[in-house]
Amino acid sequence: MGGRAYLLAISAVVISVSVSLAQEKKVSVADCQFAATPDEFLTRSKRIRTDMFNRTQKLTSSVGRKVVPVVSADSLPQRNFIDQEILGKLLKQNVPSAPIASDEEFFRRINLDLTGRIPSAEEVRVFLADTNKDKRDTVIDKLLASPEFTNRWTMWLGDLLQNTATLANAAVNRAPQGRNAFYAYIKDSVATDKPLSKLAIEVISGSGNNYDPANGAANFPMGASTAMGPEQDTYDTMLAKTTATFLGISSYDCLLCHNGRGHLNLVSAWGTGQTRLGAQQMAAFFSRMALSPASSPAKSFNVTDASSGGYNLNTDSGNRPSRIPVGSISTITPTYRDYDGGPRNDNWRVAFAESMVADQMFRRNMANRLWQQMFGLGLVDPVDSLDPARLDPANPPPAPWELQATHPELLEKLAAELGKSEFRIRPFLKTLVQSTAYQMSSRYEGDWKEEYVSLFARHFARRMEAEEVHDAIAKSTAVLGDYAVQGSADRVIWAMQLPETVEPQSDTAVNNFLNVFLRGDRDTQGRSQSGSIQQQLTLMNDGFVGNRIKVGRSPKLRALVQMEKSEDLVDEMYLTFLSRMPTGTERSAGVAFLAKSTDRNSAVEDLAWMCINKTEFMFSY
Amino acid sequence: MKDRFGFDWTKLQGTPYWKKPQLERRMFFRHVASAVGGYMLLPGGPMEGVASAAVRTKGTAKNCIFIMMQGAPSHTDTFDLKPANGMPVEQFNPTKYNGVLFPQGLMPKLAEQFDSIVLVRSMRAWANVHGVMQSWVQMGRNPTTPLAKISPHVGSVVSMELAKKDGILPTFMALNGTPRVSAGFLPVANAPFLLTAGGGLPNTAHPDGAQRFATRKGLLDESESAAGALGALPEEIAEWKLRSQLLMYNSQVDRIFKLDQGDRSQYGLSGFGDACLTARNLLRANLGTRFIQITYGSWDHHANLYPTITTMGGIFDSGLARLLTDLKADGLLDETLIVAHGEFGRTVALNGNRGRDHFGQQAALFAGAGIKGGRAIGATDAVGAQTAEPGWSRERVIRTEDVEATIYSALGIDWTKLVKDNRFGKGFEYVPESGNDVYGPIHELWG
Repeated sequence: MGGRAYLLAISAVVISVSVSLAQEKKVSVADCQFAATPDEFLTRSKRIRTDMFNRTQKLTSSVGRKVVPVVSADSLPQRNFIDQEILGKLLKQNVPSAPIASDEEFFRRINLDLTGRIPSAEEVRVFLADTNKDKRDTVIDKLLASPEFTNRWTMWLGDLLQNTATLANAAVNRAPQGRNAFYAYIKDSVATDKPLSKLAIEVISGSGNNYDPANGAANFPMGASTAMGPEQDTYDTMLAKTTATFLGISSYDCLLCHNGRGHLNLVSAWGTGQTRLGAQQMAAFFSRMALSPASSPAKSFNVTDASSGGYNLNTDSGNRPSRIPVGSISTITPTYRDYDGGPRNDNWRVAFAESMVADQMFRRNMANRLWQQMFGLGLVDPVDSLDPARLDPANPPPAPWELQATHPELLEKLAAELGKSEFRIRPFLKTLVQSTAYQMSSRYEGDWKEEYVSLFARHFARRMEAEEVHDAIAKSTAVLGDYAVQGSADRVIWAMQLPETVEPQSDTAVNNFLNVFLRGDRDTQGRSQSGSIQQQLTLMNDGFVGNRIKVGRSPKLRALVQMEKSEDLVDEMYLTFLSRMPTGTERSAGVAFLAKSTDRNSAVEDLAWMCINKTEFMFSY
Repeated sequence: MKDRFGFDWTKLQGTPYWKKPQLERRMFFRHVASAVGGYMLLPGGPMEGVASAAVRTKGTAKNCIFIMMQGAPSHTDTFDLKPANGMPVEQFNPTKYNGVLFPQGLMPKLAEQFDSIVLVRSMRAWANVHGVMQSWVQMGRNPTTPLAKISPHVGSVVSMELAKKDGILPTFMALNGTPRVSAGFLPVANAPFLLTAGGGLPNTAHPDGAQRFATRKGLLDESESAAGALGALPEEIAEWKLRSQLLMYNSQVDRIFKLDQGDRSQYGLSGFGDACLTARNLLRANLGTRFIQITYGSWDHHANLYPTITTMGGIFDSGLARLLTDLKADGLLDETLIVAHGEFGRTVALNGNRGRDHFGQQAALFAGAGIKGGRAIGATDAVGAQTAEPGWSRERVIRTEDVEATIYSALGIDWTKLVKDNRFGKGFEYVPESGNDVYGPIHELWG
């Protein structure tokens, strides 16, 4: 979609819409501190792309390494339907594509993206030496089946489902025990490749005591608890969180306070036509849910469903505008958004979940979120801003709206593919990473332009997540973690195994180290891949790094010191930390440094420090 | 009466937030050039902004020190003193300054500087739940609403507005406590930089010594000059690397964070005193920090109020009074707004444990930024339970949103500014409802 043209088209309608906004303003804008904004409502989406451009534009020129120039997209192999769309569009717009990534580049990337772990030196050597032409597919299968895959995607789902011991503004909380039960549930789901549809139904309808490991899923509804309001606030929060998570629609948070018209006119073509009543009919599916304190274990909760009741319009208190009778309606009964048949199950939460996983928005959303993880940018991004009226290429929205996805047909095909994979993560991810589109180089030896970002003309390098940084340092030095987490007897070795992004509470230094890399709190602060001065200071000077690169502590560095030939030592060092062979210049510089050093131990420590502080160490590229 | 979630809402005093004062609605749609990026921890992209009302800010301050008196101090024993409620009169020595009653016995050093202080006594909290109201105070809006999920800390907004590209220290520093809110939807460069005062700035010296660092740095620079697998460095990474080295072995920086024992004694030899001293050093050094939150607590004195508040009041007195003295001597007080209050107040009657429980009425202390000191704004009834006299132009109780607007106004920031570019794609007003003129600054502080 031509971003600039789109903005121009929008600003043309701004003036007229502003007038109508002003007229409608008195309805209820005051009630939730939202003022619908005039033009440029696309700024968030635009900024994500501009940031991506700024982060990538300099990663082009290079010295001392073999440079592969950009190529025409038709010279690249089309491995599946993804390539038809991505390469096809590049070709159509006559935009050169990055070449296929080298084996070194691909191998480090696929290890980090699928498992969150960098490969060992030995693994890199074996892969580089392998002459089988299917070796990339082989390694993909191997990584998908690894326990590290389970850890990494348990972390991802833990973020998505916001698994925390406490939430900033909840009336009641999961506590570490509930969080651990939820973590175990999520981990088991990933390990067994449970379909996402089944997982969604289980967590939305989860019930029983929330500390009980058998009821881990009951901790999802615990997150709906809302302080300072009546029970309707909790139903509303449950709907808002559920739809943002599973449908990629954030507008319900707005709609639960007021109609879309006058508020969402410039934000969502779908939302504009929605009413508060319609949103409350969705929330009504949760109106029989109760979170009540259990007699034991102390401080645990029972999540249950009553057999009667509904969403009552009987209060003027709480965090959203008054819920008072509308005409003769004083109790709202459930209706799923585009299905008018009433609840399909006696258990209303099950009924909601079953309608939801049949909703095309569920497929689109999960496909888009998984795509974002692998490609660094969603086909619609931000991923929780999906607009149901702007996604179907067979049924485009009226002007001036345009289809939302950068590749609308591709998103539909991915949604279908997810259904074909029975909503399982592994086969779906396999399709993504087998594509040429995924396997492009992140280097772009040509004129890189901002509009190329949305075309996926190169792979986007990303800074490692906090846990990946921790685990990369632990793995390359072979100094492993051993952490206690709250409420659990199990020890944790890898950061990617932590049940929540505030752990390990038992080790302040490690906790602080992880926080510097912006892992977020799963509540009010999201993850960020931004860099910072603090990150640089930490990598250069923090004891977390300094202690692990001591020959006395690191088995890997001791092994390096033992290597007789300096050339071999430098090669092994680069393979261990950076997953690649050094260039000729790098090797001779390393050898020269070792030669002039009087103390081989400290020279090896210095080289390890250098590797960790090289910018590329921090990236999956 | 518990609801089905086991929660008793009737114990929550305070008004649902939308039952707020409704004044004449004014809505302005006026585009202005937007925004200054936050450049400290990373160069933040400029935010898109749409101004609303054309307001006149005070603009007398360059800095703000916000003292979060966490746990909620008893207002009737501190800034809204009421000898009526069981307070030990002899010890607290209620004394009138310009007709304003102040606990000279509890805070003797601040009493000496009463001519620099304004006490706001017509202030009322929205809620009596610690976590919720602490968040509310720090983001200036209801933390349980949809928009609150992405709302930044007041200090992050200040950082967004005032960060300078050449500042080498974070614009927003949080001393001795983690703020309840962070940068929200703003670039993370505007997040509070957490620090425990007294321990120096972490990781600004190399653990294996300066000489070893120089060796390693040389090795790294040589290696990075011949670019590796990533190619040349993105500009921002190069900038972070450069700036991080500016902070290392920098005597100017060390002088801020490594505290002198003599100075520490003057500030009362306490964690709070150390934070006040660090704040002074930060402002003196003028290396980019503009908003400092100091957390001091807990003031949650449900039992045995008097021995505890006496000690804490003394620590507060020593630290803050010395800070006022030093900033005054430097001429920095006139350009620094100081605000101190808790998340709410405490019940006026002592409970069975000789403590006080949560209560909506509260009081705040203001100083600096050219405000006219030696006064109180607003007054409560005889026991301090209700506002009797609002004491300002809006003729209603003062809310935390009004305090937020006051901070912005003092710093020259349009408190009605509406920015977009957030996850909802919707407008974010710096002070909620300020475009409708529902909340606004307490300009009466300036006399």
